Amino acid sequence: MAAAIETRKLTKTYKSRLHGLINVVQDLDLTVEEGEIFGFLGPNGAGKTTTIKMLLGIIYPTGGEGFVLGKEIGDMDVHRIISYLPERPYYYEHMTGLEILRFYGALFGIKDEALFNQLLERVNLAADKSKTISQFSKGMQQRIGLAQSLLNDPKLLFLDEPTGGLDPIAHIEIRDLILKFRDEGRTVFISSHELSEVERICDRVAIINKGIIVSQGKLDDLLSGGRIEIIADDVSKEIADQIKGTADATVSFHEGRLIVDMSDEQDPNSVVDSIRSTKGRIISLTPRRKRLEDLFIETVRDDDASKKKPAAVAAEAGGAQ
Amino acid sequence: MRPIMAIATTTVGEAIRRRVLLIILFIGVLLLSIIPSLSVLTARSEQSTMISTMYAVLRGTSALIAIILTIYMIPNEIERRTIYTILSKPVMRWQFLVGKFMGAVLALGLMIVLMSSVMVLLFYIFQQPSPERLLEVARQPFFYFLEMMLLAAVCIFFSTFTTPLVNFFLSIGIWGVGTVLSPLYSSIASNSGASPIMQSVAKFVTGAMPAFSNYDVKNPIINPGQVIENEQKYFIYIVLYAILYSAGLLVAGMVIFDKREV
Repeated sequence: MAAAIETRKLTKTYKSRLHGLINVVQDLDLTVEEGEIFGFLGPNGAGKTTTIKMLLGIIYPTGGEGFVLGKEIGDMDVHRIISYLPERPYYYEHMTGLEILRFYGALFGIKDEALFNQLLERVNLAADKSKTISQFSKGMQQRIGLAQSLLNDPKLLFLDEPTGGLDPIAHIEIRDLILKFRDEGRTVFISSHELSEVERICDRVAIINKGIIVSQGKLDDLLSGGRIEIIADDVSKEIADQIKGTADATVSFHEGRLIVDMSDEQDPNSVVDSIRSTKGRIISLTPRRKRLEDLFIETVRDDDASKKKPAAVAAEAGGAQ
Repeated sequence: MRPIMAIATTTVGEAIRRRVLLIILFIGVLLLSIIPSLSVLTARSEQSTMISTMYAVLRGTSALIAIILTIYMIPNEIERRTIYTILSKPVMRWQFLVGKFMGAVLALGLMIVLMSSVMVLLFYIFQQPSPERLLEVARQPFFYFLEMMLLAAVCIFFSTFTTPLVNFFLSIGIWGVGTVLSPLYSSIASNSGASPIMQSVAKFVTGAMPAFSNYDVKNPIINPGQVIENEQKYFIYIVLYAILYSAGLLVAGMVIFDKREV
């Protein structure tokens, strides 16, 4: 499968009078395959939007190279077959939904009224097409944003926080639309904080922290190595301590019930045997896949800690001198 | 051309709905409306007082509208992130800038036409001039329109690299130099008695700064003594000057805007 997006050592550095050179994005190596939904995750200020802007040719990289649909970033031909929905988009408030589509359509040279109406139908705004944007709710604005992003029948969509600030119903609507985009063979590049949402829809993800990719791969691979949760009744404190000592597990009591949380790499039978040997009652044994949220927090924390360590060592060395 | 026209028409739609501009326009029309009743109080010729005051109101209001309209154009698009959705489409940055400028000029044209219509109508009602005189009065707003186009180009140029506040003072300053001080600098530049340094400064100011004073073509009613030798040639010159100077500023703005991080 061909790459929809490929970057090699893509870098964006800003000069700051106070802090000197700041690497907002550093040596970014990213590959997004055609036809997949790719999640681009990271804490605030990690460099997600900067990366998207570079890929769109809105800002210029200071190093490395990037290709979108096989062409160098910034190539105008690519802009005819890609689309972008920014975070919290703003549209000219005096315009109606239909006028918004006419305006953005005109930028492509599209004057197809039937297409505009069809897109409004698709995002459930046909009944509101004569309302002005100032009368639109956040969810409606997001949906008109998605409609404008489909005007040119794009092969690749960049969605920056597409469900940010939306109510649960709007969430589901937008999620369903994104899944449909993949079914239609489009590539979707999503930058988001909504990890549960990303986990549900993305095929692959990359986690960026402080401008550097710290983890990248298929969601199934990244989330493998899950946990097992065992809940049991009538278990003594001694047995609980014994389990704690033998297995690398988190052991706790909740309303008199023992809860054991352990890695699925360990054998749960030994824990079950220990409980049953003292007439304890197993209530449940549940394998749990690692959640994206766990992976995200783990990855970002580990990365932050590894970046702090050399600094601390250097500070200690400085102090010793 | 299609993206430019789409951006221009959207800009007009937005401009004519901006409350601050509508308020300035309303005040301008209001001032124009009360001028006929004030002109009778002056000792000077009622007709010349009336028309010169009307011109001053029209020019001042148009300049204020031109500045307020254009200084926020680019910064607002960046702040609201509309520029991202536009530039992610097959739209070049220069097309965006030209579209914005054309929209501003069209919106200015509409507002000047509205104020001029009120002015000419009032002048006709209160003075009942001959058709030739009425035509002379109606001609001046066209030159103000050219002047405002030039001013809009100055503001758009500055908006590619400055904040609206800085742009406001820079544009006001340049317009002030080009309207009030330009004739003074012209006389210094041509005065053989002035020091060479003063003459050089004056030559630079008159040569490099946009000559807004060119567009205040004195009406024979106000200045009966002032005669433009070859009227046709002069008018062609000031039309070309406005177009070429604006184009030069836009090209410079495009070069800066093309490199700018938005």
